[in-house]
Amino acid sequence: MIRGTLGLLILAFILGGGLIAHAGDRVEIKILIKNNRFVPDEIRAQAGTTIQLAITNADSTVEEFESFPLNREKLIPAGKTVTIILPNLQRGTYEFMGEFHSDTARGRLIVE
Amino acid sequence: MLAVLMITWRETIEAALIVGVLLTYLAKIGQTKQFRYVYYGVSWAVLASLVFAGLTTYVDLFVAGVGKEIFDAVVLFVAVVVLTHMVVWMHHNAREIRGEIQKKADLAISSHQLWALAILAFAGVFREGVETVLFLWGLVLQAGGAISFSSEVVGGVLGVLFGVVMTWLFFKGFGHLDLRLFFRVSGVLLLFIAAGMLAASVGKLIAADLLPPLLNPLWDSSRLLDERSVIGSIIAGLLGYRSRPSLMEVISYGLYFPVVILWLRLSRNDLAQ
Repeated sequence: MIRGTLGLLILAFILGGGLIAHAGDRVEIKILIKNNRFVPDEIRAQAGTTIQLAITNADSTVEEFESFPLNREKLIPAGKTVTIILPNLQRGTYEFMGEFHSDTARGRLIVE
Repeated sequence: MLAVLMITWRETIEAALIVGVLLTYLAKIGQTKQFRYVYYGVSWAVLASLVFAGLTTYVDLFVAGVGKEIFDAVVLFVAVVVLTHMVVWMHHNAREIRGEIQKKADLAISSHQLWALAILAFAGVFREGVETVLFLWGLVLQAGGAISFSSEVVGGVLGVLFGVVMTWLFFKGFGHLDLRLFFRVSGVLLLFIAAGMLAASVGKLIAADLLPPLLNPLWDSSRLLDERSVIGSIIAGLLGYRSRPSLMEVISYGLYFPVVILWLRLSRNDLAQ
């Protein structure tokens, strides 16, 4: 049992060891959700910066910002703003969507 | 309707797999009476998902902050620890079953192990529970605030039911394996599920800006296998597959296995003494 706890400590160490402070330029990008669409639906940013998406849901229904490429899913209730932090992205195009209205709510982030 | 069905089905696949393994496991060791512990876990998760869905809608702190991410990370991490314990325990149990092939073994199971099963069922269902509740509720409310049961709602509910049916099929499929083989297969399966959960937990901490992704993404295999497809979500649920993982998540996934092997070795020495 005591040795079982050792395993736990090692796991905790792995997690804790990653807690390194990370700096970098922060760029805030504002996005609005209106009529179940992202405005703007295409945003651009520089590689290597920390991108901070401030997404405001101006609709009266809850939305979920979801992106497999960015590995984020975040609920945004009606009338609220949430912040999604994306540190140190590689160059590329990352698609995202509002999962609850995925036929209209689609957008992409281009990192160059 | 089909799109909605796919969404809720995908959300329930992972939960279905975990609950399926747990129920099969109990049946295999002749403890069908203890199914209720798994059902406790499932019901708490449904309840907690409803509460969190309410919190997300009405409590600002929960929305603006990273409360949900941290809570998810903790739930997932606890599940990893409990799963690992369970695999170690199954491994030792399997060693006790020698000789002739048994269909069923009446192995003793202690109450804290039963609670462990409840916790696992909880973590499995809670993972996508809040999203599924809000998604279904959103569908119901879509007609301008009035409750309507459109084909979309039917699709959403069908998706959840498909997940439940999959659990049952999985349960039936695994039920035919002989006990030793079942222990071996499910032990390996649970280790991969646990590694995937650990990586997901790390992913939540990255989303909460508490851990750096290091390199993001490390690779892109989304053209080969997309998590949004049914096959993709099954592989994601079983192996923790991600088409565009960050280096940090890959490291945590990769380090999990040597740590568990070490744990197995050490606990074996404990038994030998």
